[in-house]
Amino acid sequence: MSNVLKQEAVYAVTGIITILMILEYFFFAETQAWAETIRTWAVIIFNISLFLGAIRLIMAHSVRIQEKRRDWQFSGLLLVFFVIMLLTGIAGYIATGVQTNNGIYNWMFNYIYTPLGATLYPITGFYIFSAAYRAFRARNIDAALMLLAGCLVMLYNAPVGEAIWIGFKDLGYWVQFTGQVPGMRTLAIVGALGLIAFGFRALLGKERGFYAGGGE
Amino acid sequence: MAYPTATLDVVGLWVGWFLMLMIYSYPLYKENPAYRTAEHMFIGVTLAITAITNFSNVMRLCITPLMQGNILMIVPLILGLLIFTMLIPEYRWVSRYPIAVMVGAGFGLGIRGTIKPNLQDAIIDTITAPSGGGILDWFNYLWVAVGLVCSIMYFLLTFEHAGPLKGPTRLGRLFLMLALGGYFGNTVLFRFTMLTGRAQFFLQVLKLIPM
Amino acid sequence: MSLSKLANIDRRVFYWILFIALMVPFLSPIGFPITIAPNTQDLYDGITGDQVNEGDVWIMNFGYGVSAWSECHPAVTVCTKALFREGAKIIFIGIHYDVELTYNKLQDTCSEDFADKVYGEDYVFLGYMTGGESVVAQLGSDIASVFPQDHFGTPYGDIPMLEGVEDHTDIAGVLSSDTGDYGTHFMTQWQAAYGTKMAEIGIAMNGSTDLPRWQAGNFFGVSVGSRGGAELEALIGELGEATTAMDSISVSHLLLILAIILGNIGVLTEKLGGKK
Repeated sequence: MSNVLKQEAVYAVTGIITILMILEYFFFAETQAWAETIRTWAVIIFNISLFLGAIRLIMAHSVRIQEKRRDWQFSGLLLVFFVIMLLTGIAGYIATGVQTNNGIYNWMFNYIYTPLGATLYPITGFYIFSAAYRAFRARNIDAALMLLAGCLVMLYNAPVGEAIWIGFKDLGYWVQFTGQVPGMRTLAIVGALGLIAFGFRALLGKERGFYAGGGE
Repeated sequence: MAYPTATLDVVGLWVGWFLMLMIYSYPLYKENPAYRTAEHMFIGVTLAITAITNFSNVMRLCITPLMQGNILMIVPLILGLLIFTMLIPEYRWVSRYPIAVMVGAGFGLGIRGTIKPNLQDAIIDTITAPSGGGILDWFNYLWVAVGLVCSIMYFLLTFEHAGPLKGPTRLGRLFLMLALGGYFGNTVLFRFTMLTGRAQFFLQVLKLIPM
Repeated sequence: MSLSKLANIDRRVFYWILFIALMVPFLSPIGFPITIAPNTQDLYDGITGDQVNEGDVWIMNFGYGVSAWSECHPAVTVCTKALFREGAKIIFIGIHYDVELTYNKLQDTCSEDFADKVYGEDYVFLGYMTGGESVVAQLGSDIASVFPQDHFGTPYGDIPMLEGVEDHTDIAGVLSSDTGDYGTHFMTQWQAAYGTKMAEIGIAMNGSTDLPRWQAGNFFGVSVGSRGGAELEALIGELGEATTAMDSISVSHLLLILAIILGNIGVLTEKLGGKK
C-alpha cells in the first residue's frame, strides 16, 4: 500500500493530468473550466514551490555561520541583506499592497539589485573573448565551418562588417537566414519529438527523475 | 533619464558604480573579498525579492480568492505546502504529488503545443518550394531541404553511421556545425551588448557621456 | 613576439583591452550605417499602419531582466511607441522579479508617448507572473485568473480598458521580449493554439531559433537583439540607445574576430610546418 502511495499513485496523477491537457486541446473547441482549474492549480503550486530554493539557501548559509566554516562572514552578510530587504518589503506590502512602496526596499532594489544584476551576467562576455583566443581552434573542417559561420554572422550583426566589405553583409545575411536554418530547424524538430517521447514516458510512469527522494 | 539630482539617488548611483567595479575586479584582477562581498549582497537581496514577490503572487492568486469564498483554492494551497515535505527526509515522498501536478500540466501543455509550430509548420515551410523564384531561391530551398533531412539523420542514434548512412550523416553534422556557428555569432552579440551597457553606465556615472 | 608567447598572454590583458575598447566608441562615436533586415521590417510593418486598429488591445511581455535591458529594451521602446501612435492599448506583463523596474524604465524612454495616455484606459501594468507554460496557457483562456489585480492592487474588473477583455479572443497581438522560454510558450499556447498574431523581440541568442519560426509564419516579425533595436530605431526615425551602442558592438566584434584569427595562426603554421 505504501509503495502504491509513494510511486504508482504519483505516476497516475501525472498521467491523468497530462492526458486531460491533451484531451482538452484535441477534443474540445473551447477551453474547459476543469482544464483551467488544473492549470491555475499548477501555477499556484509553482509559485509556492519557488520558496523552496530560498529556504534551502538560507538553511545552507545559516549552517555555514553556525559552524564558522571558511568565509562564514560572507554568509552573514548575505543573511543581513536578506533580512533587511525582506522586512522592508513586507512592511511596504502590508502598508500598501505593493512591496516597492517602501523607501528602503525601493532604494536597495534600484541601486543594489539592479547594478549587481546587470553586472554579473555580462561577465560571460569577457570569457567569450578569452575563449576565442585560447580555445576556438579550427583544427578540422567541422570546427573551421563553425568558426567561419560564427565570424560571418558577427560581421553581419556588427555594422562595421558592411562598412569593411559589402560581401560580409551578404554572406552573413545568407548564413543568418538560410545557412543555419536546416540545423536550427533540426534542433527544434528533434527537440519536439524528444519532448513528446519524454512526455509519454512520464505519462506511463517510466520517467522517474522528477520524483527523486523518499527512498524509492 | 537625466542624471539624478536628489542626494539619495546620486549616492545610490555611485553605490551601484562601485558595486559594478567590485564585481569586475574578479575578471580584471582576481578573486578577492570585494567580489565575494558584492556577490553575497546580490544573493541576499535577490532571495528576499524572490520571497516577497512570490508571496504577493500567492496572496493574489490563491489566498485572496480563498478569503473571498472560493473554497476550491484550499486544494492548490495544501498541495503547494506539501512540497516543503521535501525538507523532511522521511516524508519526502509526499512532495511528489505537487510535483506530479506541475509535471503533468507542463508535459500535457508542452506535447499539445509543440506539434504545430515545431513539427507541422517547420516541415511545411521546408517542403514548400519557392514560387517563381530565381536560382538563388531554389538553391536556398534545396539547401534547407537537404540540410534538414541530413541533420535529422545525424540524430538517428539507434543506427550505426556507416554504409549508406555515412555520407548523409556526415553532411548532417556539417550542417549542424554551420548552425551552431551562427548561434555562436548571435550569442556574441548578446553577451557583448550586455557588456556595452555596463561600459555605458561606467561612463554615464562619471558624466563623461550624457545619461 | 613569438606565437608561443602570444598564446601565453594572461587572459586579464584581453579583459582590460575589451573593457577599454567598449568605452572608446561612446566617447568618440563613429556612426556606421545600418541596413534593415526583412524580419525587422516585417515586425515594424505588423505594428503600424493598417495592421493595427485604434482600440486594439495588445500584450507586451517583458521577458527580460535588468541584465538584458541594453539588448531588448530599445526594441521594446520602439514597439511601444509605434503601437501607442496607432491608438492601440497595451497590457504590460512580465516574468522577472524586476519587471517593475523595466516598466519604470519604459515610462522614461517613452515619456512623450505616455504623457498623453491614461493609465487604466490606454495601458495597464498587470505585473509579474510565473508558472512556465501553464501560466501562459491559462493567460490565454482567462486573463483575470492569472491577474486578479493589476500590479498596484486595482481589481481586474475595475480597470476600464480591461472591460470585455477576458481571453485570447480579445487580444489583437502579442509582443514577447525574451531572454528565455516564454516567447516559445506564447508561440505554442497562443499562436499555435489560437492563431494569435505574435512577434518576438528577443535577445540575439534567440535569433537563431526565432528566424526559422518567422520564416515558417509562426511570428509575423522578429527583432534580433540590439541590432534589431537599432534597425527599429532607424525605422521609426528616432535614434536611441541601441544605435548608440552599435559602434561599441562593432569594435568588440572586430576585436573578437581578430582574437580568433590570431589564435588560429598558430594552428595554421603548425599544419604548414607539419607538411614541410
